[in-house]
Amino acid sequence: MELSVKQMDPEEFGRQRQEVLTAWPTGKEVDFDEAVAYQKELPAAKVMAAKLAQGKAKGVTYAQPRAGVALISEHIELLRYLQDEGGADLLPTTIDSYTRQNRYKEAQGGIEESRSIGRSMLNGFPAVNHGVMACRRVVESVGVPVQVRHGTPDARLLAEVTLAGGFTDFEGGSISYNIPYAKDVPVENTIKYWQYVDRLVGLYEENGVRINREPFGPLTGTLVPPSISHAVGVIEAVLAVAQGVKSLSLGYGQCGNLIQDVAALHTLPLLAQEYLKKLGYPEVMITTVFHQWMGGFPQDEAKAYGVISWGAVAAALGKATKVIVKTPHEALGIPTKEANAAGLRTTKQVLNMLRDQTLPQTEELTLEEKMILRETRLILDKVLELGEGDMAVGSVRAFQAGVIDVPFAPSRFNVGKILPARDTTGAVRILDFGCLPFDREIRDFHQERIARRGRDEGRDPSFQMVIDDIYAIGKGMLVGRPRG
Amino acid sequence: MEGRERKTLVLGVIGADVHAVGNRILDYAFTQAGFKVVNIGVMASQEEFIQAAIETSAAAILVSSLYGHGEMDCRGMREKCQEAGIGDILLYVGGNLVVGKQDFGPVEKLFRKMGFDRVYPPGTMPEEPIADLRRDLGLA
Repeated sequence: MELSVKQMDPEEFGRQRQEVLTAWPTGKEVDFDEAVAYQKELPAAKVMAAKLAQGKAKGVTYAQPRAGVALISEHIELLRYLQDEGGADLLPTTIDSYTRQNRYKEAQGGIEESRSIGRSMLNGFPAVNHGVMACRRVVESVGVPVQVRHGTPDARLLAEVTLAGGFTDFEGGSISYNIPYAKDVPVENTIKYWQYVDRLVGLYEENGVRINREPFGPLTGTLVPPSISHAVGVIEAVLAVAQGVKSLSLGYGQCGNLIQDVAALHTLPLLAQEYLKKLGYPEVMITTVFHQWMGGFPQDEAKAYGVISWGAVAAALGKATKVIVKTPHEALGIPTKEANAAGLRTTKQVLNMLRDQTLPQTEELTLEEKMILRETRLILDKVLELGEGDMAVGSVRAFQAGVIDVPFAPSRFNVGKILPARDTTGAVRILDFGCLPFDREIRDFHQERIARRGRDEGRDPSFQMVIDDIYAIGKGMLVGRPRG
Repeated sequence: MEGRERKTLVLGVIGADVHAVGNRILDYAFTQAGFKVVNIGVMASQEEFIQAAIETSAAAILVSSLYGHGEMDCRGMREKCQEAGIGDILLYVGGNLVVGKQDFGPVEKLFRKMGFDRVYPPGTMPEEPIADLRRDLGLA
């Protein structure tokens, strides 16, 4: 199949489907027509797209945790706890890392060992191994919509099993679940895998079932400049809508400077609408999702609550449709259910307090918005130029050329030349532009801001400054100033 | 380490773990400290660590794991080293090694029993294993 942004042809989809559904025994539990009928029976309160539309109309920000354990009944207990004790508006099912790499045999080993020793040996819920009926038990056990969250380059079988299993939202995308989550998978391959997932969602849509799709905004979660994650979000939006997706949540990971974060949340849906329209696609529902700080956290729980609260502030003032919540155990790995619920309650307190407040449109906010819009357009226009108008082809070439370059990504298909650093106000700027297609004015803006920090700290900007920034929040600061 | 041959280390993130940021920082920090770093990157298997150590005559293998599956991924690694003829190589491991917040004492004991020479809790700064390595290799 030649790479193209166009909708997959039904024959190709059918051919792949046979392959996908026989990759693991639970694949044969998937019966599309029966799954459509099951999805149609779900009450509106459990359908993500319906609930997001409601929240968007009312201008509220929903709170959603991350959570998943190896065994079904423990997973259900965890989700119920987060709903009842944490007040989660939306629920997740986070998938374990073996399943994310299609290593179902190892996931099976993890399930069996978890059973025998009585604690979860897996860092998530192995939905493919558990199968369609187990997923339905999860969905039926709670009162709010449940989304699949993972990090899977080839999520075709996971999508088949979980959507047939009653989940109404599926996270990920061809770039956002490849470049930060794999080391050796070509972008062209993941575009094709995710066109299958998006086409599957399109087929549900054509049969009267709306599944929401959410590209993973934060990418590596480490000093990613907004224009880079926005460009990826818009590309994945275009690729999804081309396959028939009608409801999208676009994501962004907190950088830490309030003005930059609010500017990013304001500009993300505008850019998606602009490019969808420009490329002739129909209008779809677009909501936004804000991720609380994705980098290293302080170990001290009191300090961690501070980081969580600051994320809640940015989500509320930026009017995100939902916020993905961190926990006071973040520095130590997978949280207990109590810690997870505590992160939710902290977040909801702040969201409720800020519900009726906005950030005034100051000159500085307008400038940040203008810069993000200009930078993102320069990247996206170059992608389209490289692809001769085709966003899929252009994306592959853009990664080869370093026109899109994600800082600190494990993938060898990412050029990895750019270097971000904070400026003196904590906003994320670019220290080394690599091959980003930015003009003089933008380069001057970034350089001038970073130079000002260098003067404040009496040192030349370097990789050491970047390392200091990566550790800073864990050590109680936003900007990684030299000690002393 | 002037005037002395630079010692080689094999560095990587084990299992299905893709955490790449700390890996890059460790690479930088150990290189700055005067070691020759062979970085096999994320998602590395036990066999890849051992193969790289044999090929480069490495003095130590440094294993990172951030995602919680470390216990399953690291089991049997010392035995594999022995089978490959590098049974005495220094083995260090660090990160979020198990699922969930657990006391570090038992976690350290568990990994020591598996044959790791040094075990580091979450949040360890690079200076600590660098100092240990100098001591263990008789460079200090």
